[in-house]
Amino acid sequence: MQCRRRLRLAPLLRAPPPSILLSRLLSSSYPSPPPSGGGGDGAAASGVAVKQVTRGNLAEAVEELRARVRDAAFVGLDLEMSGVTSAPWRDTFELDRADVRYLKLRDSAQRFAALQLGVCPFRWDPAKSAFVAHPHNFFIFPRKELPYDSSSHEFLCQTSSIDFLAKYQFDFNTCFHEGISYLSRAQEEEALQKLNVLHHDAISVSPNTSEEGEDVPLKSTADLLFTERMKIRFNEWRDAIRSNSRVDNNLLGSNKFGTDQFQTVFFKMRPAVTLNGFTSHQLKLIQQVLRKNFKDLMYVCTFGEDDTSEKRVVYTDNSDDSILLMKDVQQDLLTSRKAKVESAIGIRHVIDLLASERKLIVGHSCFLDIAQVYSKFIGPLPSSMKDFSLGINKVFPHIADTRHLMSANDAVQYLMRQKSKSLSSAFSFLCPTAAESFTRTPVKIEVEADETTLSCFASGAKHEAGYDAFMTGSVFAQLCAHLDINFEHLTPKENLAKNNKLQKYINHLSPSFNSGTVLDLSTGTERPDTGYKSRYPAAVYDNVVLIWGFQSELRAKDIKDSICKVFGPASVTTIFSIDRTAVLVQFSKQESVNDFLDLKATLERTDSAISVLHPLSTILQGGKTRAANYETYRDICNSSVSKYFFADQAEAVCPASNTEPKCENLDAGDALGRNDGTLDETKNASVRRGEGAKYTSKNRDNSDISCQDILDVLQDGKTLFSKRINQT
Amino acid sequence: MWRRTADLQAVACKRRDEEARMARAKRKRREERDTAHGLDHARIVGTLLHDTAFSPGRAQLLIPPPMAATRAAAAAASAKQVTRKNFPESLRELAAHMKECDYVAVAALKTGAPTGWRRALPVDTAETAYLKAKFAAESFQPLHIAVCPFRVDATSRSTVVAYPYNFHLFPRDELHVGMPSYSFSCQSSYLSSMARDGFDFNMCIYDGISYLSRVQESLARQKIVIPHLRQPSPSPSTSVADSVFTTRIKSRIQHWRKGYAEPRKKADDSLVNSLRKLILGGESYGSRPSMSVDVCSDRQVQLVLEIIGHTFDDLVPLVIPDKSGVARAVRVIFTSSAEDKNLLLMDIRKLEDEHSFKFRGFREVVDLLSSSQKPIISYNCLSDLTMIHTKFIGPLPPNMHEFMCSLRMVFSSVVDIGHLWREIGPLRKAKNIQAALSYLQRQYFVPMEIEIPQQDGTNSVTKGGENVLRITKLFAKLSKLLNISPKCQSQSGEQCYSVEDYCNIFYPGCMAEESDDVDCTNESDTTRTVNTDCVLFLWGFSGISAKELRSRLTRLHHVFLKDFELRLLDKTCSALIFRSSDAAAGLLRDISSESPSLNDFFSEGLKAAGFDVYRKACRSGLWDSDLAEALESASSEPATSTLSGHGSSEIYWNSSLKLDLKEYLEC
Repeated sequence: MQCRRRLRLAPLLRAPPPSILLSRLLSSSYPSPPPSGGGGDGAAASGVAVKQVTRGNLAEAVEELRARVRDAAFVGLDLEMSGVTSAPWRDTFELDRADVRYLKLRDSAQRFAALQLGVCPFRWDPAKSAFVAHPHNFFIFPRKELPYDSSSHEFLCQTSSIDFLAKYQFDFNTCFHEGISYLSRAQEEEALQKLNVLHHDAISVSPNTSEEGEDVPLKSTADLLFTERMKIRFNEWRDAIRSNSRVDNNLLGSNKFGTDQFQTVFFKMRPAVTLNGFTSHQLKLIQQVLRKNFKDLMYVCTFGEDDTSEKRVVYTDNSDDSILLMKDVQQDLLTSRKAKVESAIGIRHVIDLLASERKLIVGHSCFLDIAQVYSKFIGPLPSSMKDFSLGINKVFPHIADTRHLMSANDAVQYLMRQKSKSLSSAFSFLCPTAAESFTRTPVKIEVEADETTLSCFASGAKHEAGYDAFMTGSVFAQLCAHLDINFEHLTPKENLAKNNKLQKYINHLSPSFNSGTVLDLSTGTERPDTGYKSRYPAAVYDNVVLIWGFQSELRAKDIKDSICKVFGPASVTTIFSIDRTAVLVQFSKQESVNDFLDLKATLERTDSAISVLHPLSTILQGGKTRAANYETYRDICNSSVSKYFFADQAEAVCPASNTEPKCENLDAGDALGRNDGTLDETKNASVRRGEGAKYTSKNRDNSDISCQDILDVLQDGKTLFSKRINQT
Repeated sequence: MWRRTADLQAVACKRRDEEARMARAKRKRREERDTAHGLDHARIVGTLLHDTAFSPGRAQLLIPPPMAATRAAAAAASAKQVTRKNFPESLRELAAHMKECDYVAVAALKTGAPTGWRRALPVDTAETAYLKAKFAAESFQPLHIAVCPFRVDATSRSTVVAYPYNFHLFPRDELHVGMPSYSFSCQSSYLSSMARDGFDFNMCIYDGISYLSRVQESLARQKIVIPHLRQPSPSPSTSVADSVFTTRIKSRIQHWRKGYAEPRKKADDSLVNSLRKLILGGESYGSRPSMSVDVCSDRQVQLVLEIIGHTFDDLVPLVIPDKSGVARAVRVIFTSSAEDKNLLLMDIRKLEDEHSFKFRGFREVVDLLSSSQKPIISYNCLSDLTMIHTKFIGPLPPNMHEFMCSLRMVFSSVVDIGHLWREIGPLRKAKNIQAALSYLQRQYFVPMEIEIPQQDGTNSVTKGGENVLRITKLFAKLSKLLNISPKCQSQSGEQCYSVEDYCNIFYPGCMAEESDDVDCTNESDTTRTVNTDCVLFLWGFSGISAKELRSRLTRLHHVFLKDFELRLLDKTCSALIFRSSDAAAGLLRDISSESPSLNDFFSEGLKAAGFDVYRKACRSGLWDSDLAEALESASSEPATSTLSGHGSSEIYWNSSLKLDLKEYLEC
């Protein structure tokens, strides 16, 4: 994903076309439509009509899309998000272990919002012998639609991503104003469960006798006066109704209460008054009055359109009638709430329909996209890559990744050699526009727009999800041709996922551009990508030490040098800097990891000239340097905390007191036996180190004090120390 | 707003209620004011519109609604919208207006505010409230800051002259240095309500003004350095090496200069020109010829500057630094005359200014505010000023005391309008600016008109712009009621107050969202000070109401038989307020000793902790989880060093809590 973002930054191949139609459509409601980019004739540059879907036209768009997807051979999919990494160190690194990489990608998918969903079904038309595409661009905005939904609806924006979207004229006003909200499957289930609980609670308590809303103490004279007045007025109103029970609305309306809040209306065939213009405190008082004094007047609160609550007082003939009324009201409430949950599902209807049609989904380096889809529309992301793969496989049984396809097949690889594999350059290479020769294009692709509803079409632009989905699908179609898939034999409505020649590419993709691995979604296993050229030697994670909190001017090279001075020049295989504040050091031998950690602890304990002169002191300077093994790195990546610098993050996740218990034990001086043990270990270790260091000191003639000297002194100090302990 | 169209009878009834309330409030207020400030009654009674205000007819006579309506419309329509396109000229205008004015009102629109227990709660001390504000300031982003210098018209005290500006911000990385902000949080409810109010996100994100904080600027300056002029400093002595270098460079420059300075024999031939360029190694700076002298130390830079200063009047030296900021070369530029030289120097200075402007961006406005020394009037000061501090000054310090010190260095006086209105007794219950304004409108006669002199066609209404005008209006009214004047000048024996008396006292706002609800009867008046020793946090229950929990607790331990208050802080945790610290301490003791009397308590899965655990949770920044989870992990951690810090251990329970920052600053 990261790669995709980066590569997509490649120089503009086409001027971003102005969203002429869209801006015409929206200019009435917004202060400024997105400015048109480039000023050139944008529509000619892309010429692809992309259907824009917002809150207003979701329902019909979904119905139309359902039919299109049913007919499609495959469906292109793309997402635009509010960001990719929550901190620089959360970028996926080539050296990351698979589980760490997944944690990083999961963090991204959870924190950032999806702002646009592009869906583009491609149907094979044998008559034209061409694909017919219907690009759709859905605006998404995670609005809180249900009042009792407790999830936070907070999301992160990465400044550079937002700025990037702005460069391509992303319309934020439409997105925030008209974007479609959603509930994930898990959220929907939770909401419905809550509804049922609410409903049962409401039914089980009998109306009016319920003590819900404890007694409001009448503290002020104002409250007393108000209560009394209400008592009188309800009494009058009830009497009026009782005295002429068959009056029509006009008659009641014309009596002396008609002029004020006590306008008689009918609610479920019963006379009622609507309570308008009371404060919530007054409404509470009214409820209390009714509860105490009027058994036959019911306080009913219903919700109308657009969530405004309407409060009424309803007259009932007898207690049976009142129970009937309340049941009726509760049933209505349940139905309307259910409808609300149904409508809150929003954009997820699109995902659901894609899932139910089981068509081949095509994305371009789409791991992060599908992780976003899972996290936003299915449920919380599982804790491991395997669970995630199996989970997504259940929803979308067939996924193809064009980027993987480009590097997996020899013929395509040959074709794409020396070519950028970013979506837009692949698109312009594989799918030249009509102006250029047709002969180079093996597969014809047409875009169909429904003429009658032209108003919601806009000319597609790069980095608009709908257009990107179209490009992805087009690239896929061309690639299929290079894989010798003959579309002529394709029957309409046939799912391309069943094609034999595609089988070995389906459900295979790389988790990130630099992972060097291929993930099989159907089994959840990851294997190295044979075609990937790694920049680093293979990582052995048991040999890795994580160091952070060293002084800011220190560079990775300095750290490597000072470690090599102690452990020998060949001791460090690789050093990788996570950010300015942390590095990962891979030793050539596994035991060096513990040796290093022990030596560090020893040096920090002894407060003498030795520790100042020791080569490692460059790293330890400042006293805030911390070190740990790779598992700690994993835990830090797993944390939900997000700090900009890795060192701050690490401090927040594992505070200093937790990770260095050894020092505390020594200071306490009460665990003697254990201390001896540790000291012996360090002694052995330092002997071994001594040999390595000798070697180094020969090479470094100009250093004032050889490392051996220092180690000797250190050794002496330690013997003294252990003697002292033994004496006590 | 108060519905004047509402039923007359209900209004009448309500008025009766209010009359009674007002009468009491008035009494109370008088007493308070007298004790607090020793004011004479006459003034207050004079400004108070007596019970006549309750009759709608007369109220309308006094403040005709049509006038009010036009006023509001005019006020809303004329804030100037500023983006990066018109920022430089707007800044100049603002500076001029700021000079004329007495106060500056500031209001920010942010991408969100903390939810759940991360809001300021009634159980918060000043310290924990600050920590929460810090967290919010660091996570959310201001998209819009309205700045409005204003003054109360000296001739008619009921007119405010205001110059509202709406600045649109976006933390774009203009200099490609990864600043000012890598990422920020958004709350969708905030964004959609901004969208509803007509906020133009496209304008904001495409053309918002970027900025760097003072700290970020100094970091960025280390990374990015541009060619600049430098004055030669007098050098003490010259070594042999120096003089060799000097002679060599001098002759080189002389040789090069000759090519341009000597009168041309013939009309310029382009071929000759380019040949000359090639041979003499000259480059050009703009249209002027120039040459580059490589240097390898700061000493050499000095020498080159000296040579040029002493020998060549028509040459301008420009120091060219490399990426790390070390001088790499001196570029010598040839000017044809003295005027030309001045022109060049001006150009260079202008470039430097532009560059600095690019660095600071919107911070120019903050610096302007700071240097003007005008009192800043704001609402929800703790949240707005922590935000201004972290975005435009530097990272927020770890505790409130340091924050206040740091803030005072930048803004000498900040007035929280929320604190100001609480000076007027009955207004104490007002929950927001709207409520306070409408209360004033109903109960007092303080005519106040906002006059906005600058009018151009490009203006539009935004919520932030509206807010800042409301603050302006409210402050003008309040300052009239409280007789605050910018310069404390005694008029005709009346005592008057300087704005300094109300400065730097902040109310942490508890409101999640600004509501337009003006109903201020709900908030109870019983504020009392509670020591944090009496507060316990209880968690481990699930999905039950406060009432249910309370009744369940009484069965679990004898402390719960006594009087205590219980309030849910979020859905996982509640606060228990005991009357005495003994009860709380006793319960904690029993819990830590796992006394058998608490078997039921434990078996229900309940857990409790004292205030120090809460404080620790706030300090260690465990904001990501529910309160229960945060307390759980804070209490499981080994006790670190003493947790005592600055700050009182008192909370203002059940109140709209107030922090007096003077307590934190003995200055």
